Amino acid sequence: MASGPLETYSPSQTLERRHQQQKRKSFNEIDWARSDGRNFHQCRPAYLRTGATSSASGSAYAEFGSTKVIVSVFGPRESKKAMMYSDVGRLNCNVSYTTFSTSTRGQGSDNKDFSSMLQKALEGAIILETFPKTTVDIFALVLESAGGDLPIIISCASLALADAGIMMYDLVSAVSLSCFGKNLVIDPTSEEEACQDGSLMIAYMPIRNEVTQFTLTGEWSTAKINEAMELCLEACSKLSNILRSCLKENVLGFTD
Amino acid sequence: MVGLSAGEKQFMHGGIAQDLRSDGRQRLQFRPISIQTGVIPQANGSARVTLGTTVVIASIKAELGKPAPLRPDKGKVVIFIDCSPTAGPMFEGRGGEELSSELSVGLQRCLLGGKSGAGAGIDLSSLVLAEGKICWDLYIDGLVISSDGNLLDALAAAIKVALSNTGIPKVSVIVEASAEDQLEVNVSDEEFLQFDTSGVPVIVTLTKVGRHYIADATSEEESQMSSAVSVSVNRHGRVCGLTKRGGAGLDPSVMLDMISVAKHASENLIAVLDSEIAAAEAAEDDGS
Amino acid sequence: MKELLISLNQTQKVRLQAALQHLAELASQVSSSNLAVTVADTIPVNNEDGILKGHGTTEFDGQVVATLCGIVERVNKLVYVRTLRARYKPEVGDIIVGRVIEIAPKRWRLEINFSQDAVLMLQSMNLPDGIQRRRTAVDELNMRSIFEENDVVCAEVRGFQHDGSLHLQARSQKYGKLERGQLLIIPAYLVKRRKQHFHHLEQYGLDLILGCNGFVWIGEHAEPIDSEVLEDRDKIPKDKQRDTPLEVRRNICRISNSVRLLSALGFALSVEAIVDTAEASKSSNVDIKDMLGAEFYVQTAEREVQRRASLLRKKRFV
Repeated sequence: MASGPLETYSPSQTLERRHQQQKRKSFNEIDWARSDGRNFHQCRPAYLRTGATSSASGSAYAEFGSTKVIVSVFGPRESKKAMMYSDVGRLNCNVSYTTFSTSTRGQGSDNKDFSSMLQKALEGAIILETFPKTTVDIFALVLESAGGDLPIIISCASLALADAGIMMYDLVSAVSLSCFGKNLVIDPTSEEEACQDGSLMIAYMPIRNEVTQFTLTGEWSTAKINEAMELCLEACSKLSNILRSCLKENVLGFTD
Repeated sequence: MVGLSAGEKQFMHGGIAQDLRSDGRQRLQFRPISIQTGVIPQANGSARVTLGTTVVIASIKAELGKPAPLRPDKGKVVIFIDCSPTAGPMFEGRGGEELSSELSVGLQRCLLGGKSGAGAGIDLSSLVLAEGKICWDLYIDGLVISSDGNLLDALAAAIKVALSNTGIPKVSVIVEASAEDQLEVNVSDEEFLQFDTSGVPVIVTLTKVGRHYIADATSEEESQMSSAVSVSVNRHGRVCGLTKRGGAGLDPSVMLDMISVAKHASENLIAVLDSEIAAAEAAEDDGS
Repeated sequence: MKELLISLNQTQKVRLQAALQHLAELASQVSSSNLAVTVADTIPVNNEDGILKGHGTTEFDGQVVATLCGIVERVNKLVYVRTLRARYKPEVGDIIVGRVIEIAPKRWRLEINFSQDAVLMLQSMNLPDGIQRRRTAVDELNMRSIFEENDVVCAEVRGFQHDGSLHLQARSQKYGKLERGQLLIIPAYLVKRRKQHFHHLEQYGLDLILGCNGFVWIGEHAEPIDSEVLEDRDKIPKDKQRDTPLEVRRNICRISNSVRLLSALGFALSVEAIVDTAEASKSSNVDIKDMLGAEFYVQTAEREVQRRASLLRKKRFV
């Protein structure tokens, strides 16, 4: 069965200890504990499953804390729009929020933006030459939005694409990080995101060692960017391992 | 929806005439129904209903609001249906809009009763807290995850089950002498009032194919329909709403016949839903 | 495993879990030590020279790396990744069932559950009067009289043309339009390539065609058409034609439910499995529509466990 065990993907011990020492110094300014009891460099437990919808070529369901996302992949299919012959396939991404996904009803934030960001994040990973003249549709639906939506959508979409048998160079995993003064807080919830000073999101292919998407908001020093990137890349690698083990379970559990 | 060839159409019509549909069901039998409650934890009530391969989710959120000026003693209910592209690429963008609004209107007609509020499946006056000032606004959202026909019946069943799962927080109104807009309320986190769903009707859609009617059509069967009638029936056998869909005209006697057939078919559906709801509640009590 | 769409009570869940566990164990006993890979895993090739990188592989940093999730297969120097729930991949000679979606000049376009639509040329189709002759302009205009939009057609894969399109041929008597039955769509990887895809189930009086592309046709038995018979048949108006008898219809429903059930369970479809399931349902007096219910679902899984276990035992004693 493809239900992954509840795992936290936290950075290695040495890094954590070093950062904790740094934290203690800056703790004089703000001393706050995260609402769900995590420390600053701990991500939410990830639960991932493939095969969520039966009618799609591939699908995946992800639950990171309270954020719940379902992604289905259709295709490759004939492009219904009359298109010129193209050597490479086309990718069509669509992210939508259900009306009950946020606490205030009907507030689907940043839909259009997320759709194009999802596409850019995945384009670098999918081998488009393998399906010329056809289109792959990726539909993401956020059932519950509780922070870190876009990175979770990206990771879940990678899983769905692998489930659908679309050829990729590597699985894309993504993680976002918030900055509060001097503190770097990874995988923020929506309350934390609402009052962050700056944010950073990375979508990364660990084995290929390539970043497919990188966004940054707020004012950052280069040193802080380096530190944040290190944290995020490490978390991405661990998340990628979780994605892999989910897919491996599928392969091994298959009855021929 | 894929089209069907002439040969397949004839085969399907023949099957329906002989009371043996493509999956072995009789004309008035429903596909296996399974329900799950509490699938959306942040909503006041939610349910997921699987009818064969059609999967829908209903979620109910209650928020405090002001009653409409024309009806100060009633709460408000808003029903909104969304067909998600996860069900299929045909629902992407504007593709699902027409269907979604048709379903929303159909459900509103069946659940909300007449303009005066009489005969509504949900008793709107029970939603009022302080007449003319504060009431509960119920937002009922339906989401279609997988579509294989008979969406209206599935959504109505999901709403009924979600209502049975809904807990409205108990609110005590702190009486204000100056009775203007701002009233203070104390919303309790602990106590919840359960909804009484015995009055909530179910919808049975009868699809006319050839000379016979079938209940719970799959999308293939729906593509062959000449017309369909969706009848909402409550536990006491009273009709609570009716919508005719589809283009072909129907003889009035045929319509009356369809209404009585729908009433008959709804008894079974109500019984199945009630037993599923009871089982889900029992499981909840055991687990919690 | 796909999420189940039917509700099982507690005992049924336990039984199903046990059965699936057994099946996984049996599968692991049988399979060779082939490596299971996911995307971007390295495939060990021991630095051999001249390794051909097949489907699902690519080169990265001097190593062979997988681009799909599946099992690594090796045939001499060819290394490729076989996906388990693979999309349909047409091969020459495959027997497929498709639906006509468009009539274009001198050809029909068929939808066959593949990433692109397949083409059936007018020349690759027998003319109704059976004479082999050059197709004229009149024939082109009469294409609709042979196949219309939405018709279900059985054909064979002829091959890929140089422009990448897939061509079919339907020259033999057994190919052609399928009527009086129903079409089921199931995942293509559940249909294995065998010698025979056309099955005439005499005891039920029906035809079962397992298309390699996952389209399965179950219909009343149709004799290969003779040209004279065709003309006679056309004279009878459609609605007066004899309707399918009830008994045959019941069998068609039973077989289709058996196909639906096996595909929901994810078991490979073969005629024997389908007929066995249908027979088992008959002998245990399961109503046709109850075949898709929870109890029979679990029973079928348990029966499959028995069958595979006994197969394994037989293999061991050989």
